[in-house]
Amino acid sequence: MSTPLLQTRSASKHFMGLKAVDEVSLAVNKGEVVSIIGPNGAGKTTYFNLLTGQLAPTLGEVSLRGQVINDLAPHQRAKLGMGRTFQIVKPLIALSALENVMVGAFLRHPRHADARDQAMAVLTRVGLGALAKRRAGELTLSERRRLEVARALALDPEIMLLDEVMAGLNQSETGRCIDLLRSLHEELGLTFLIIEHNLKVVRAFSERVVVLDRGRLIAEGTADDILSSPEVVKAYLGEGHQWTPS
Amino acid sequence: MNKTNASRPLAERAAAVAPEVSGLESPSTALWRYLALMGLAGLPLVFLAKDPYWLNIIAFTYLMGGLAAAWNIIGGFGGQFSLGHGVFFGIGAYATAVGTTTYGASPWLIMVPAALAAAAVSMLISWPTFRLRGPFFAIATMAFNEVAFVLANHFDSFTGGPRGIMIPFKAGFANMIFKERWQYAVLMFAFVALVIGVSVWLRRSRLGYYLLAVREDEDAARACGIDVLAIKLKGMALSAFLTAMGGTLFTMYLRFIDPPTLFTLQDVGVKFALLSLIGGVGTVAGPLLGAALIVPFENFLRAELANALPGINLAILGLLMVLAALFMKRGVVGAFEDLVAWVKRKFGGRS
Repeated sequence: MSTPLLQTRSASKHFMGLKAVDEVSLAVNKGEVVSIIGPNGAGKTTYFNLLTGQLAPTLGEVSLRGQVINDLAPHQRAKLGMGRTFQIVKPLIALSALENVMVGAFLRHPRHADARDQAMAVLTRVGLGALAKRRAGELTLSERRRLEVARALALDPEIMLLDEVMAGLNQSETGRCIDLLRSLHEELGLTFLIIEHNLKVVRAFSERVVVLDRGRLIAEGTADDILSSPEVVKAYLGEGHQWTPS
Repeated sequence: MNKTNASRPLAERAAAVAPEVSGLESPSTALWRYLALMGLAGLPLVFLAKDPYWLNIIAFTYLMGGLAAAWNIIGGFGGQFSLGHGVFFGIGAYATAVGTTTYGASPWLIMVPAALAAAAVSMLISWPTFRLRGPFFAIATMAFNEVAFVLANHFDSFTGGPRGIMIPFKAGFANMIFKERWQYAVLMFAFVALVIGVSVWLRRSRLGYYLLAVREDEDAARACGIDVLAIKLKGMALSAFLTAMGGTLFTMYLRFIDPPTLFTLQDVGVKFALLSLIGGVGTVAGPLLGAALIVPFENFLRAELANALPGINLAILGLLMVLAALFMKRGVVGAFEDLVAWVKRKFGGRS
């Protein structure tokens, strides 16, 4: 097998005595869609921050295409092809939607006109073309989430890390968002690593699911296997419950 | 595909008029806008060219407009609220005064090296302070201004200390000393045209977009591959460079400098920020607009009221600024944009 695109080996993050992430080993291959699920406080976002460089691992290593990137800052990882979104959206609210995406596009297109064309193409692709000149602060939550996907996409990344990109969306918005991600995956061959609470999304979109609980990776497999595993159900719902898929 | 269905509400909402966002117009539109703005700014100079009283005010307005616009590069676009720009202003001023009096050099030759020195100093003192955010950064930069004040007083063999430095009147282009007031006004106009020109370029450049991104959200900026500290340092260096150039011009116009003239906060460091805030911080035209409103008004108040009741001019100015801070949070430019949007909503909807 070839080198995984993104990999952690026994990556841990300790806050004083608390092991927020405890020896998590995971390999994401090029072209895969992997979901991370787990109850609140399981360490999903902390793990995410180890991958994006917001935090440095206490132990273990993070590597991209086989190269250890433990010491690289977030902006250096972005240059190497990692795009990300934030759990709490961070639009550049005083800028227009187009300018938001241009900030991303400037990474690979230093000239204004090129960055603008690239940004417009990406905005259209995520369905926000008509709102290009709107201030980001005037967009709805659903549009802001799309905008953030667009900004990351404009970096021309190889892997997209999405932290609860569906949170706060209603059912039809969620459906459209899944369609968007799926088309990006299928047409551009983008690799995805997503944190997701909505198990419907996990089932619909991901090829592989890993479960974190209290900082440890407790299960890994296909969506159907994982969602029926007793250990996972116990972690989510407590002991003695049955999982009843909706 | 259900694309038509999905995009219909978007198209309707987009039609509901967005405030014009700068930086997106075509290069020729940007150039025309710039020329129109500078043409407008140059009108008073043409019409009042024979009135020395007004020429003095006009020259100062251009100079302060240029300095505020230079501050706006890091303070407005970059969102780093520096109150220490007096340091860079002072470097330009002292380099010019010492260079011309002690070494007999031409201010034209001193201007750029002095500005480079100011840019270097700005990076040195910003490197540690950029780790601070918001008000803490502002306070730290203010402290640098006070340190510069003390140093200028202390090293009197170089700066003349509290006695200051007087530059003798030797008219001539090479000396940047002119017989006529309008010549100074033209010089100041060239300065503000340069700084606003840099701002227009910046607003359309990668550096400019990155400064805006850093101002809006540092984490989001990092996620876009932006080295936040490096971008702040570049913005600060450019801002300090232009500020020091203003210091050279100020020195040659007054031909006398001393520490209080260069480092009094409310006249220098804070003033640059204030003019930008009144006009519209983070916009291209805002700082110049702020200077055009405040500098003549300040002169008027000082001339008309200062004798009646000492300090009343400052009280009125202060009150005005409080009102502006309360009711025009985005400055005159922002208020104007809101007005345009309101008019379009009100009267554009039916057609």
